[in-house]
Amino acid sequence: MMNKTSLIAIALLVFMGFFPLFVDSAWLAVGTTFLVFAVVALSQDIILGRAGVFHMGHALFFGLGAYTTAILNVNFGLPILATWVPAVLVPMLVAFIMVAPIIHLRGDYLLVATIGFNIIFIQVLENDVFGLTGGPNGLFGIDVVRVLGYDFSSQTHMYYMAFILLGITLFIMRNLDKSKFGRAMFYIHKDEIAAQSMGINVRYFKLYAFILGAGIAGAAGSMFSVQYSAVSPEAFNVTQSIMFFTIVLVGGSASLPGVLIGTFIMFVLPEMFREFETARYLVFGIAMILTMILRPRGIWPVRFGNIPDFLKKGVK
Amino acid sequence: MSEYLLEISHVSKYFQGLVAINDLSMKVKKGQIYGIIGPNGAGKTTLFNCITGIYRPEIGQILWKGKDIKGISPHKIAELGILRTFQTIRLFSEMSVAENIMSGRHIKSKQRWYNGVIPTPAYYKDEKANWKKVGELMDFFHLSEFATTPAGDLSYGIQRRIEMARALAAEPELLILDEPAAGLNEHETLELTQTIRKIQAMGVTIMMIEHDMEMVMSLCEYITVINFGAKISEGVPSFIQDDPVVIEAYIGSDEDDDNE
Repeated sequence: MMNKTSLIAIALLVFMGFFPLFVDSAWLAVGTTFLVFAVVALSQDIILGRAGVFHMGHALFFGLGAYTTAILNVNFGLPILATWVPAVLVPMLVAFIMVAPIIHLRGDYLLVATIGFNIIFIQVLENDVFGLTGGPNGLFGIDVVRVLGYDFSSQTHMYYMAFILLGITLFIMRNLDKSKFGRAMFYIHKDEIAAQSMGINVRYFKLYAFILGAGIAGAAGSMFSVQYSAVSPEAFNVTQSIMFFTIVLVGGSASLPGVLIGTFIMFVLPEMFREFETARYLVFGIAMILTMILRPRGIWPVRFGNIPDFLKKGVK
Repeated sequence: MSEYLLEISHVSKYFQGLVAINDLSMKVKKGQIYGIIGPNGAGKTTLFNCITGIYRPEIGQILWKGKDIKGISPHKIAELGILRTFQTIRLFSEMSVAENIMSGRHIKSKQRWYNGVIPTPAYYKDEKANWKKVGELMDFFHLSEFATTPAGDLSYGIQRRIEMARALAAEPELLILDEPAAGLNEHETLELTQTIRKIQAMGVTIMMIEHDMEMVMSLCEYITVINFGAKISEGVPSFIQDDPVVIEAYIGSDEDDDNE
């Protein structure tokens, strides 16, 4: 079935696929950053938009992925390809250890706890723990992806790798939404007591959301570190976490197009209006406030009711 | 195994020193429709919350097929086959009717942990079977035309039907209904009475709190009357109707203050 949304999605996909052919390297870098940040925002959306957990420390998982790749490559000489799996698994493991003891906390309390973890993470990075993280300056000279003697080192390569990563992320999220796992997250989000009474293990599914979100953010982090061939702590601080949190709410919780629009507004538009210097942030601040007042469910709100066609026959 | 499906024995529940339920006992037989009545604030909903694991009673036992389930978390109670509806309707109001009912299929779904990320042939089969069951329930409760409508947009009577469909989707052994007729008109109540009979005919045991006496007396095989958290009477409907203690409790109390 071809509806309006899927047509827009296909048009956008084609546009994104050919984007590197039309633009200079500066815009290509903006495009790559958009793709990477879109992946992080979508992974934040699993936790915040789907499971409804107020998590404001997502830059931590993004940073863990980036630093895992950087440390394994710079300090231990592993090829980038070999760091991909650890860059996903380490954030997942940390998410489990970190979040399991606090997952029962309610909204605002959990929010403060996740900010706390993010602050500690930055402290650890800046203090160069075990001499691995490079302190406040971070790590430099991260390699490019090499496969069978071929180097994927150009900006265009970076772009398409990020493009594929976004594709994989969207594929995962579509599957999630159409499975008992995604639905369980929604039920918990909408009414925790009702969800429990239907046999849904709230703790399990909130953790599931966190671990999945952390893994995807880690993959994006790994990509990010290779794109800039460097990592430093300030790219993963609480301000970044607030940005990811805001993208989801401004764009539309649990809405794939919404989160992509949110990422575009928060990361690409500022680049477009670079000549306005810092004045642009005044406009963005106001835009964020207005969105929350006028469209509290986001610019492109989630639409429920995606059920199999055979159940729609009785619908008038 | 005991002949009773559910045995509540000497259960007491306190809230900061106040007695909400006081030494309550009752026994529910398999296949029965069991009624619980009493003035508002008597502790009826608190009892249901104790059975379904939302509250943990301080004293007493709640035996499910002979095993104590007191203090077990709500999702495990549901897995045991005890499903409920709520006095104040608790639907996932932004989600469609079909998706609401699908939540009942959660415990019956056999999807594995990786199916949240990658579909497998078994996943497709499971998903389809569960949606089919949702379709059957929508037919049974005359909800098919609202399949894609957000549950919150529908009338009170319809929302009550969705809640029952959702609970039944989990194929419960015991269905707990908390004031299923509240807010329904006469016609809807009549329909509800027939629906409950049909559910009983499927082999589901039913426990219900209800203020509509006509409905309670016609449906329930056995009734417990609660006042101030304690049992004041129990028996078959014809006995309860003429029991002076029950009449006293109802006349002596202000009817329907609503806040339970």
